[in-house]
Amino acid sequence: MKPIDGATIGGRAIPDLPDLPRMRRERFERLQQQLEAQGIDGLVLLGSSSVAYATGAAAPAQDGDRAALFRTVAVVVKGDSAPHLYTLFTDGAPAELPEDHLHGPLFPDLDDGIDAFAAALSEHLASGARVGVDDLTHAMLRGLPRFEWVDASDVVGAAKLTKTPDEIACIRNAQRLNELAMTDALAALRPGVRQIDLSAVFLRRVFELGASANGIDPIWQVMAPTRELGPWTIHGDLAYPTVTSDRFLREGDVIWVDSGITWHGYASDYGRTWTTGAGPNTKQQEHFRRWRAVVDAALDVLKPGVSALELGKAAIDANDGVRPWIEHFYLAHGVGTESAEMPLIGTDLGEGFDERLIMQPGMVLVLEPVIWEEGHAGYRSEDIVAVTDTGWVKLSGSTYEPYGVTT
Amino acid sequence: MSPVARDRGVYLGMMGLEDDARVDFTRLRTERRAKVFAGMETHDLDALMLGGVGNVRYVSGARQLGRSGVLPFAPVAVVVRESRRVHLLSTWDEGVPPEIGRDDLYRMSWNPANLAADLASIPGLAEARRVGTDGLTPMFAALIPQLVTKADLVDAGPVMTGARRIKTPDEIVCLEVAAAIAEAALSAMEDALTPGITERELLGIYHERIATLGAPMPPSEAVSCGAPGQLLALAPGALYAGYEAGLGRTRVVGAGPMHAELASRCARGMDALVAACRPGNTGADLYRAWEDAGNEDPGLPLAHGLGLGAEPPLIGLGRGRDAALEEGMVLSVQSWVAEEGIGGCLERDTVLVESGGPTLLTRYGRL
Repeated sequence: MKPIDGATIGGRAIPDLPDLPRMRRERFERLQQQLEAQGIDGLVLLGSSSVAYATGAAAPAQDGDRAALFRTVAVVVKGDSAPHLYTLFTDGAPAELPEDHLHGPLFPDLDDGIDAFAAALSEHLASGARVGVDDLTHAMLRGLPRFEWVDASDVVGAAKLTKTPDEIACIRNAQRLNELAMTDALAALRPGVRQIDLSAVFLRRVFELGASANGIDPIWQVMAPTRELGPWTIHGDLAYPTVTSDRFLREGDVIWVDSGITWHGYASDYGRTWTTGAGPNTKQQEHFRRWRAVVDAALDVLKPGVSALELGKAAIDANDGVRPWIEHFYLAHGVGTESAEMPLIGTDLGEGFDERLIMQPGMVLVLEPVIWEEGHAGYRSEDIVAVTDTGWVKLSGSTYEPYGVTT
Repeated sequence: MSPVARDRGVYLGMMGLEDDARVDFTRLRTERRAKVFAGMETHDLDALMLGGVGNVRYVSGARQLGRSGVLPFAPVAVVVRESRRVHLLSTWDEGVPPEIGRDDLYRMSWNPANLAADLASIPGLAEARRVGTDGLTPMFAALIPQLVTKADLVDAGPVMTGARRIKTPDEIVCLEVAAAIAEAALSAMEDALTPGITERELLGIYHERIATLGAPMPPSEAVSCGAPGQLLALAPGALYAGYEAGLGRTRVVGAGPMHAELASRCARGMDALVAACRPGNTGADLYRAWEDAGNEDPGLPLAHGLGLGAEPPLIGLGRGRDAALEEGMVLSVQSWVAEEGIGGCLERDTVLVESGGPTLLTRYGRL
């Protein structure tokens, strides 16, 4: 891929491939700026995505409880030049991390690991310090010295809200790998194939192509023609996403596909609608065109300074006044070291929140409106764009097979 | 079917059979819930608010979207002792077992105030005196007392680890099926071993095999390690209905180095560790067995608990000397030895601690 012509963020071009040391340095500077601005002395991070953001350390993807027991921990001290990384996977530490910032693993989940954790923290943070933390285990609550714990998400969330050009390059490359592997999965789709067979094709291919890790169990949900015929939901709207099984895919099934892998810590987000057997009929193509029109309506107004509420309104207007997204979701979400992060547009955070959420260069939006017609199912895809200094640039591909190709 | 199959092999498959001969998941969930409620009684907890993937699965039995990595605490399942009900964060009923009614579901929210409002309306939670959680973020530490319950927020660990540590017969069947899936993955990876194959390609083959078998989310993507011309450690774990089996073996790619002595040392270390997995022993006995076999600290765990994913105790890396081994526990046990110029040799097995001695749930040929 080539750098995107003319698109700049803070006056800088989005590179073809990221400069990873520069990316890590700039992220760390953002965390430091937020610590300073919010008057917080340091961060103790336990969650996979915030540790990845703060340190850039690679670790194998692991199931939730394994990722907890063998978690990587990051400690960021205000005024320091690099994060402290505590990990079992020292090979994954960035090359530029100073030797005295790379440590063996800590076990915050275990009572017999807490003395070592307390000793490690006391080397970096004074007792009583104001410390941002993303999670507290009961072993920590019992065994650590007294800190003034505050939620780390205020610091980490503020740093992550806009991306650097290198981060955007990572998202773009993650997405590219995801899309390439999906070409093979779509080619395998025919009546009688099971959902897990598509997972098998997709996962094998995406690792061959160079994905760092898989983020979620790939989704191949068959959409019932009406809400009433789909799974029961609390809100009466559609259920999505439901979990993959060995369900057979059959002639005429409309499938809403979703997957996410990571590349250098950054998530992709692939969303498309596929049909099984015969290609999309006239009505289904109409759904797609309407989806395209809704996304285009939002993109037409997207530029720095526009509010999330205005984007939502543009999308609703383009769908004849009907909110074109599922009640428990959004018109759009951000993506970064998490598969869904701020900015969120159209959620239950409410209109006031959306009105105050102003688009800025470096924000990344995954637009995922849903078009639904009772009796005929509907259409859902995801377009990823980054907000630039003057507008936006697309990070995801522009083919929507087996639906009509457009730009 | 007869109440207990004399040939347990009939259980080792994943298809539903018309005589219901496979795992009885209704019984599995019922027994798990009974242990949780008994533990709440013992530890005097009125409710639990749980976010850990294994804990949520243990109390709910729900099939929820698999994802990698660990998230900060959020209340995904709520257990109320008085009503004996389990409430689950799920906007729909697909994947939710029948004992959790639609009334017991609460919706996915992005707004913490909406989540708190849903939690506050769970019968019995507001009046609870002691509520166990499996983590706490500063936000929830402030929000729960304000909007949900005035209860003391205490550690759910004694209830949950207490319930999860000893496996029921149905849980052991699930672990055996997971073991068989791991063996299938190891066969596929071994078949693919040719000079020049990359770790990425092996990871792809691994995922393809477990996905085809119906278990696409792996416990860990660290499934191979080695260098060209050296020994290659293959360690494909697998999950079945959330239950994890660990399996690791070492193989030679192409014209490998002289490895017989290293392989034999690895096997001796493994035999010593497995032999120490007896009721009444502690982690210290595993350390001693490992050292007596002539080995140094491998820099990796010697053993850790298995069940719905990785569990305490962790034995190795300086931890777990006091951990008590009891009948009915399942452990991932591993031997890792390395030598300059030859590489490393790994063996990992899933071991059931039984009164008569350890039983290996994983089976695969050694190097």
